[in-house]
Amino acid sequence: MEHQAFIQAFFKSLKGFLFNLPLLVSVILLTGLFEVFITPQMLSSLFSGNAFLDTLTGTIVGGASVGQPFVSYLIGGELLDDGLSFYAVTAFILSWVTLGIVQLPYEYSLFGARFTLTRNLLAFIFALLIAIATVQSLVWFK
Amino acid sequence: MKKTSRKNRKPKIGGQILFPVVSLIYLLLYNSAPEKTLEALNKSLSILTHLLPVFITVIVIMGLITALLQVKKMGGLLGKQSGIKGWSIAIIGGILSHGSALIWYQMLADLRDHKVRDSLIVTFLYTRAIKLPWLPLMISYFGFTFTLLLTVYIIIGAIIQGIIVDKMSSGKHL
Repeated sequence: MEHQAFIQAFFKSLKGFLFNLPLLVSVILLTGLFEVFITPQMLSSLFSGNAFLDTLTGTIVGGASVGQPFVSYLIGGELLDDGLSFYAVTAFILSWVTLGIVQLPYEYSLFGARFTLTRNLLAFIFALLIAIATVQSLVWFK
Repeated sequence: MKKTSRKNRKPKIGGQILFPVVSLIYLLLYNSAPEKTLEALNKSLSILTHLLPVFITVIVIMGLITALLQVKKMGGLLGKQSGIKGWSIAIIGGILSHGSALIWYQMLADLRDHKVRDSLIVTFLYTRAIKLPWLPLMISYFGFTFTLLLTVYIIIGAIIQGIIVDKMSSGKHL
């Protein structure tokens, strides 16, 4: 009985995966484009020096970026050295891993519009809030 | 609130539309920057070959989970009545999970069909921001106190987001 249930569940999951495969491949192809064509220097040039605007920019740029988390630490470290505010860098490294603009079509296809919109909107707002809370707390601890 | 089950999970912007669009972008970019475009294609193929075996593993694991744990049990563990146990599983699971989010989306969508709450999925996805293997590097770049504070706030933020989603969905799917 369990064997049958496994086969049934396996094929159900496989069917779902194959159905979404063209979309998944498209998202991966976009990821490849982004990683090659968008350089860290290009990302750095988007910041203006205004702490509030840079925090917003950091969240958007981090959300639109793709790659391993350590890349965001490297870019974040460089941005800090260049004088960017800690708020902006924190928002940037946080949204790098919590927001996925490139992955939106895939998330939407699996979870629907409402879930995807709600989750990403919350992740965006919380990237800002957590950046503020973390840097403020850091000031208090020092 | 309408549940997005596998049957009605047909995307409006599916691969049938996105794939030709992305292919067209590649063709256009190839005309202006052939080397970089090929590099991007190679990078994508490398990501895909890296992810495919993991996807197969996920499909097998989902099959095993479904076979071993009945749907009712899954609902009990992570469904409406899961309580603190459900939150703990979502938080710890998110922190321990690694790899591309794309892999986890497929598994979480399957679990969602098995009555797992949206709030726990949101919490799980947010706590994935804590990358255990990269913590030493984060500490070396930004310091121990910053890393600790950020980690704590991510967990708190993930729980609050889960609660908000719970309130919005009244325990059903968004």
